[in-house]
Amino acid sequence: MARILVIAEQRNGKLSEATLELCKAAKEIASGLGATPAAAVFYKDDSIAKEVANYIPEVFAVVDAKLASYDADLFVQAVKAVVEAQDVKGVLIPHSYDGVDYAGKAALAIGAGIVSNCNKAAVEGGTVVFTRNTYNGKIQEQRSVKTDKFVATFEKGAYDKEAAGGAGSVTAVSVSLTDSRRKIKEVIATMAGSVDISQAKIIVSGGRGTKEKDKYNDVIVNLAKKLGGEYGASRPVVDAGWTDAARQVGQSGKTVVPVLYVAAGISGAIQHVAGMKGSQCIVAINKDPEAPIFNIATYGIVGDLFEVIPAMMEALG
Amino acid sequence: MKIVVLVKEVPDMESKFKIVGDAKIDESQIAFKMNDFDEYAVEAALQLKEKFGGEVVIVSSGPDRVTKEVRQAFAMGADWGIHVSDPQIDEGDNFVVAGALVKAIESLGGVDLVMTGVQAEDDQAALTGVFVADMLNFSHCTNVVKIEVGADQKSLTINRELEGGLNEVLEMATPAVLTIQSGINQPRYPTLPGIMKAKKKRLDLKKAADLGVGAIGEAGSKTKFHKIFFPVSEHKAEIIQGDAKAAAKTLVDKLRNEAKVI
Ligand SMILES: Cc1cc2nc3c(=O)[nH]c(=O)nc-3n(C[C@H](O)[C@H](O)[C@H](O)COP(=O)(O)OP(=O)(O)OC[C@H]3O[C@@H](n4cnc5c(N)ncnc54)[C@H](O)[C@@H]3O)c2cc1C
Ligand SMILES: Cc1cc2nc3c(=O)[nH]c(=O)nc-3n(C[C@H](O)[C@H](O)[C@H](O)COP(=O)(O)OP(=O)(O)OC[C@H]3O[C@@H](n4cnc5c(N)ncnc54)[C@H](O)[C@@H]3O)c2cc1C
Repeated sequence: MARILVIAEQRNGKLSEATLELCKAAKEIASGLGATPAAAVFYKDDSIAKEVANYIPEVFAVVDAKLASYDADLFVQAVKAVVEAQDVKGVLIPHSYDGVDYAGKAALAIGAGIVSNCNKAAVEGGTVVFTRNTYNGKIQEQRSVKTDKFVATFEKGAYDKEAAGGAGSVTAVSVSLTDSRRKIKEVIATMAGSVDISQAKIIVSGGRGTKEKDKYNDVIVNLAKKLGGEYGASRPVVDAGWTDAARQVGQSGKTVVPVLYVAAGISGAIQHVAGMKGSQCIVAINKDPEAPIFNIATYGIVGDLFEVIPAMMEALG
Repeated sequence: MKIVVLVKEVPDMESKFKIVGDAKIDESQIAFKMNDFDEYAVEAALQLKEKFGGEVVIVSSGPDRVTKEVRQAFAMGADWGIHVSDPQIDEGDNFVVAGALVKAIESLGGVDLVMTGVQAEDDQAALTGVFVADMLNFSHCTNVVKIEVGADQKSLTINRELEGGLNEVLEMATPAVLTIQSGINQPRYPTLPGIMKAKKKRLDLKKAADLGVGAIGEAGSKTKFHKIFFPVSEHKAEIIQGDAKAAAKTLVDKLRNEAKVI
């Protein structure tokens, strides 16, 4: 039977949550197509393959010392080898830092069409129709592939994690890997800073809508102080140097779970939301009524943050 | 160094979007601009040119209006460009567009680096750079936040952004494709003399046939477009009505007495 194949992902030997979400996706897509879910694990030993076998019936393991860390060239060779050796219909890859680095190449290597950055897949009359975010989350698009096989990447959180409990098989697939064209020297931490906002109970974050450094300080920092909380930021604010990288919330910054999160002048891009959606109460202040941030906020004010925040300061007394 | 920067024009994301026939956005009411990530790519290329000499060539595929963004890159300091202009290419998917961009890059010969943005703000596929690299048989790195070029102008030390503030530091060689992440630099603003000079810089117009692009349009695509629609959210914020003052007052009251979070 044809397979829907998840490509597992690890960092420092730790399996990613996104892999478990894709195990769930593979199961759903496979059942719609009359296929079976499976996974492939590329690592220096078979420890992760054995772990993944708790979540999916069939695991293919490519074991090689060269695979201790992720590498684009090597992953593409490994994907191709597994797809050629087994009957694979679809390949699911996390839309993560590593995933986006090789998914397109893997698709070309196996002659498949690719739909990237998906949040849903539905089988309609034998075709898998993928839904994906476009226009910074303001518009959804549906797309399928025209090729026999497909590759799809999924954004984090698109599916719930599959629960452990299965006892899948692990089959070794042998591949003679070439040398990679990239050589990893080291992995470094870049966000070391004096402040740790991840423990704060109240966070007031400002985005590009705060316009400039002085205004960001004026409204965001002051409101945070008034509320006895910390101030945070979206990525463009950090990129522009208005505040420290240690205060960035999101996929490439901190994950925070405060009791109150105020997002002012932040549109609500998926990469920002990834870092704050677990907050207990979310307030969104944005002049654009269609900003995606309103889809996850508890309370929203549609208006100019430079009027709303001073008014909040006043109301707080 | 000979550096190509791929520049895409995208709508301003704060626009009020209207969808026509489940298929397209109504472009008549929309302001277009350069994809944010591509501004960082242009700046990164200009900084390398300033250090090592050579040229920066802008390649953009799209309708006539994209010449505005190409000229903006010229005004920042890029040398010249190619406008790939063919509705048959625009109607294609990423595979078609990347294939056309590759033909334009190949027509230049001797390219050391190709830089793209990490992703386009509108289609958000994050595929073009990786496709282009594979089709050119160049090595590549995505989500680049730091570039160091050795004295030989061939060896690269690159920081690739990872989750949670980590960077992977890698070594690779030119020719290569780098997809540039925001924050790698502070893109310069075009100066007035820059804008004046930009008007006179060379911009070649190429159709699919000029470049020998085989796979075009819907037929060349590996994916099939179904439809676009506005997201239906199960959850919507409780929108607090009133002018700024009244709304702020109600909000503070709700935070105190309803949500009990302050
Ligand atoms: C790999 C990757 C990782 C990323 N990681 C992160 C991350 O960790 N964190 C992060 O935040 N982003 C991250 N991003 C960037 C992300 O995609 C968005 O670009 C970013 O979150 C947008 O920030 P913003 O909402 O501040 O800006 P914009 O999207 O430009 O939104 C600004 C908002 O302000 C509103 N506004 C403007 N003026 C006013 C006003 N006067 N009053 C009220 N509202 C106003 C506008 O309506 C708009 O909604 C990442 C992107 C990539 C590709
Ligand atoms: C006018 C128009 C009509 C379209 N119609 C269709 C259609 O009918 N069917 C369909 O399937 N798709 C259509 N598209 C989408 C098109 O296929 C994608 O925009 C394209 O493949 C690039 O993908 P992306 O935007 O997701 O880029 P990503 O892969 O996210 O972009 C990454 C980077 O690649 C570079 N890049 C991307 N696109 C270009 C470009 N055009 N020129 C130069 N550099 C670029 C930029 O550096 C960008 O930062 C249309 C696009 C446009 C602009």
